[in-house]
Parts: sequence; C-alpha cells; structure tokens
Amino acid sequence: MTSPDLTQRLDRAFNPKTVAVVGDKRAMGYMWLNAMKTFTGKLYSVQIDPAEIPGIEALEVPNYPSLSDIPDDIDYVLCAVPRPVAARIVADCAKKKVGSVALFTSGFAETETEEGIEAQRVVTKIARENDLLLIGPNCMGLYNRRLGVRHSPDQEAGDPGNVGFISQSGTHCINFALVGAQHGIKCSKTVSIGNVVILDTPDYIDYLAQDAETEVIAMYIEGVKDGPRLLASLKAAAKRKPVVVWRGGTSTAGSRAVYSHTASLAAAPDVWAAAMRQASVIETTDLDETIDAVKALVYCKPAKGHRMGLLAMTGGQSVVITDAFEREGMEVPLLTAASYEKLAAFFNIIGGSYRNPLDAGGTIGMGFVPGNLQKLFEILDEDENVDAIAMEVSGTFIARRLRDNPAMMDGLIDMLAGHRDRSPKPFLAITHPSHVEDVMAEVRRKLLARNVAAFTSFRSAARALSRATAYWAARDGGA
Amino acid sequence: MVTLAEAIERARSQDRTVLTEIESKQVLAAAGIPVAAARLAATADDAAKAAAEVGFPVVLKIVSPDVTHKSDVGGVKVGLADEAAVRAAFAEIVALVKAAQPKARIEGVAVQHMARPGTEVIVGMSKDPQFGPVLMFGLGGIFVEVLKDVTFRIVPLEPRDAQQMIAEIKGHAILDGVRGGEPADTAALADLLLKLSAFVEANPQVEELDLNPVFAYKDGVIAVDARIVIAE
Repeated sequence: MTSPDLTQRLDRAFNPKTVAVVGDKRAMGYMWLNAMKTFTGKLYSVQIDPAEIPGIEALEVPNYPSLSDIPDDIDYVLCAVPRPVAARIVADCAKKKVGSVALFTSGFAETETEEGIEAQRVVTKIARENDLLLIGPNCMGLYNRRLGVRHSPDQEAGDPGNVGFISQSGTHCINFALVGAQHGIKCSKTVSIGNVVILDTPDYIDYLAQDAETEVIAMYIEGVKDGPRLLASLKAAAKRKPVVVWRGGTSTAGSRAVYSHTASLAAAPDVWAAAMRQASVIETTDLDETIDAVKALVYCKPAKGHRMGLLAMTGGQSVVITDAFEREGMEVPLLTAASYEKLAAFFNIIGGSYRNPLDAGGTIGMGFVPGNLQKLFEILDEDENVDAIAMEVSGTFIARRLRDNPAMMDGLIDMLAGHRDRSPKPFLAITHPSHVEDVMAEVRRKLLARNVAAFTSFRSAARALSRATAYWAARDGGA
Repeated sequence: MVTLAEAIERARSQDRTVLTEIESKQVLAAAGIPVAAARLAATADDAAKAAAEVGFPVVLKIVSPDVTHKSDVGGVKVGLADEAAVRAAFAEIVALVKAAQPKARIEGVAVQHMARPGTEVIVGMSKDPQFGPVLMFGLGGIFVEVLKDVTFRIVPLEPRDAQQMIAEIKGHAILDGVRGGEPADTAALADLLLKLSAFVEANPQVEELDLNPVFAYKDGVIAVDARIVIAE
C-alpha cells in the first residue's frame, strides 16, 4: 500500500500550481507548451538554444536557461530533452526539489540496446538517490482536465472529470481522453507511465483509489513488474470504486511487441485472467470496450440483476437485440401477467409484439408517439421481472425526420432523459450506425450530455452492461 | 510426524528436490489437508503389518528417490486383500523395479489403504514468474488431459476464490453428480483449496505441488497421491 507521504506527493504532482516544460522546440511545434496553454497555474519554460527562445517568447511563456534559475518552486516538470541530456535535467530536478518530473525523453530500456539500458540505469539511480518522483521515462506524463495540465493540445480542459486513467502507452492515454470525450467520458486525472522505473502501476492505482474526484478507474497495462503488489492494489481499489483493466499483448506476437514497447514482461493468460477475477475488476481488450465499460459504469445506475426489458423498433431488430444481450450473459425474461394486461390494452400488435422484447415501432410511431413510449417505460419500470432497460433508437426510419425536425429530436431526447432520471433501473439507448451517421452521432452526443448511456451497437451495449452488472454484484458480496 | 523443514533437509542431503509420496503426505497431513495415509515398509513383514494397520484392501507403491514413474517399472500393486497378497506383492515389486532400474535406491514400499473411488479431481500449485504461487483446480483424468478443464487462482485465496474455482470449471455439473453418481462435497473441496493456499503461503520453499488424484465424496475429500517439489 502506498504511504501517506507518497499519496501527498502524488497529489502535488497531479494537482500542480507550477509547471516547467524543459526542452520544447519548434520541430515539435512546441507541442508541450501548446498543450499547457490551458494550465491555470504558472507555466515556465527551460530552453538554452537561442534559436528556440523567440518561438517560446511568442507563446508568452517565461523562459529560463535552467530549472535552478526559475524563481519559484516547481510542482511538475515535463522533460522533453534528447536522451544524452536527460540525466543532467533529472539531476537539476533533484537539486531544485521539484514535486515530480515526467520524462517524455525515450530511447531507454525499451530499445533493448546496451546504451538505452545504461541510460535508464543512470536516470533511475539519480532519481532514487534523491528521492525524486520520476514518471516514465518514455511517457507522456500527466493530464488534469480541471487544471488544464495536458499532454495533447486537443484534450478538453476547464471543468472537472470523474474517470482516472493509467496507461503504459502514451497513445492510448491520449486516445482514452480524446475518444472518451466523444462518448461523454470526462477524465479527472490520467497518467502515461512509460517504463516505470521509480513509480510503478500500483502507486498510481493506490493514488486514484483514494482520489475523491475519481469515481471510476480505467487502465491500459502491458506488463507486470510485481504481480502480487499489482493484485493487492487492484483488489483494494475495486472495493472502493469500479476498475476497468485493458490489457495489451495478450497474443503471442503481441507479447513480443510488449517488450520492445515498455521493456516489461507479459503475464501468462490463465494467470492474468485469474488475477483479474480475484481483484473483481472488469477486463477489456481494446479502447472501444474500455470506453463502453466506463460509459456503463458512469451513466447506468447499478442493476440488481441480469434481466433485461428490451425495446426495438422492428421485428428484425427485436430478434437481434435479444440475441446480443443473451450472448453477453444477460437474460430476456417474460414479463409479469400485470404487465401483459397493461400492454394488451394499447399495444399495436399489427407488425409488432410485446412478450419481451417489445417490437414497438408501430406502437410508439418509431419514437414519435411520446405518450405510448412513456407508458412502455412505466410498465417495464414497474415490472419486477426486469432489472434493466435497453432501447433501440433506430436510424433507419427516424434519422432523416429527426434532422428535418429539430424539435422532434429534442422531444425524443427529453423523453429518454426524463425516463433515465426517474427510473431506478439502468437505461441504455442504442443509437446504432445508420446511413445518416451525422444525425445518429448528434443524437448520441445529446443523449450523453443528458446522462443517458448511448451506445453504438447492441453488442457493445450488452457487453458493457453485463460487465458493469458483474462488477456491482461482486462488490456487493456476490460471485 | 515429519515437518516440512525435516523433509526438506532429508531430501537435500540426498540431492533430491522431490519429496517422496510418504514425506509429501505427512507434511500435508500436518497442515490439515486430508490425505490417504501411507506408511513406509522396508520388508515384506513390515508391509503386512502396516497393511493390517491402515486396513485392507491396500495399495503398495515403490519408494525410491530414483523412480519417478512408478507404474511404468512395475512399482505399483493395487487391490491387495490380505497379508499373504501383501507379502507376495512386496517381493514382486522389489524384483521388478530392480530389473527395470538396477541402480535405483530402494527404501521400501509405501503401504496405503485403497481409498474408495470418488469423483476424481486434481489440485496443483506452480509458480508464475510475475504472480508467484498459483493454485490450479480441475476434474481429473480425461478432463484435465484432453479438455484442459482447469482453473487458476493466485495465492493467497479468499473463500470466494475457492468457491469460484469449483463453480467455474466447464465440467462443474459432474461435481453435482450426474447419472445417479455421487455428488462431490464442494465445501470440503473449497476447504482443501484454502488450506493448501495457506500451506503454500507459509512455505515459500515449496516450488510445486500436485495432489493427483483427489477423490471427492458426498461427505469429504481425500488426496490419494501427493507430490511436493522444493526449491534447489
């Protein structure tokens, strides 16, 4: 378990008041200084190359020839210098007693070369001897959405988020924030951890587990240094909040790629699966699944069981949505006699049926007879055989009408958001791709903005809900 | 009673990393793990006496640090119902093993009560380079050999982990008893897994462990064979 002291120090790193970028340059488009433009605290630059200084000054960032010249304490340093200079900057960080330093610099053990391994040994030694919090090397460092500390100029900033992300890959770290934002996921804090020479994955897990702002933790892991410690951290974290673990390098060739990426060893698949099950975390295999699982955890209320009430617009879709949920381990039961009695009174059975799934296009006019849709929601809400509700929002029949009639779209979204807020049962809207994808994307975006979990396919919705439900059940003491 | 430390010392003095079946079982029995007790008999008379003590019918198995596949060299005799059969079997086993492996050091034979057949399961432990000791559980015989129907958990196990291991093997229905078969005592199986986890956690010198087979009955379980490998 991480010491209170380390928690405090990581708190300083993740919530800096002062940031210094060392070695940014024109050839990189001043990417780091541009990324930090949104930072709410004081930003400094360190660069000695006279050719670079005008460009830095044009960005209105005060530049100094060395860290020690900055007349301020520094909470977080992003170091982007070439490898031969890295050790000197790390030594400067130690001397300046900075809160933390992330080494964007690469070319260390991941290169599997003698020089790389030796360079890593040197920076590790300096950091260890000086008790310096070193993130990386070979990483993208930290992202704090609320404070505008970013590692990509495209990341959102300003308002707080609630999902923490830890990543052994810089790309996946950035993508989780960027693509996640398209799915309504706002990050609290993310970290690209690189070669983990000082701080290891469990340190970050322990930190995010106790971080009040972070409600869900997700991560991308390739290799494991200390299995029992990782398991203990995951277990402790998952008792407090949902944890989603996306593991890369599970295939034979993939595990070979893992070594040259972050110089870490991949665990045997059976053992890894056992560890994840023991920790009660959700396991995923790619970015899409990870985002879907996080979406379900953030936007769906915890389900009490696996029984679905399903709504689709046509016969074909009602069959396929049912298959999708069953395939992912959910059940689609018959409804109660009371529900059938209520349904019989108004359900349009010409071209429809209501045993569950509800083939309801004719009854709710493809979503445009709000009164009937509302009634169906109320029946499923009251039905004691149903734990969760999912609905197809069809592009095939309604997308063009929604585009032509914005008021109609807003009415539908109000209706679904109202149901989501009132109902104690989790609700999923499935806006699968259509021939007018721009409209469907807009519907998804608007639904997510109203806290409705909108998914892009039956399978992704079913899988995400199934995983979230298993997590809540395990945490409540079930299997 | 032999402690693990004593068994390890003895094995190391003989340049062995594998404990004998008798040593393994004694060590495990001391940890509260149900095993079919085996006694070492150095002579045919000893064997007859031990058989009367453990109760007929009995199994005789060669005890030699040099013989790993006992049945392949004629080192196992089963279903021995009386003292005369035990004496004859003792002589036969020793002769067959000597013929097959003239240089094998023979300590005697293990005399073991022949456990009533039950549902065969296997339990094992091996060490993963990253996660350390890992317990394995599965159905025995063809299920493990052909179907690889096994499941794993990292030591230490919690009660929930042991229950999940038993529940998640594909052939789980067999433990419930199929076609009038006797159901397996899953609570006793879970208890065995937890005791083994505690044993492994307390004894890092144990590198590998196999209980194969374990017979599961409706009221209890018993490890019929056991093998412990220690660190060099």
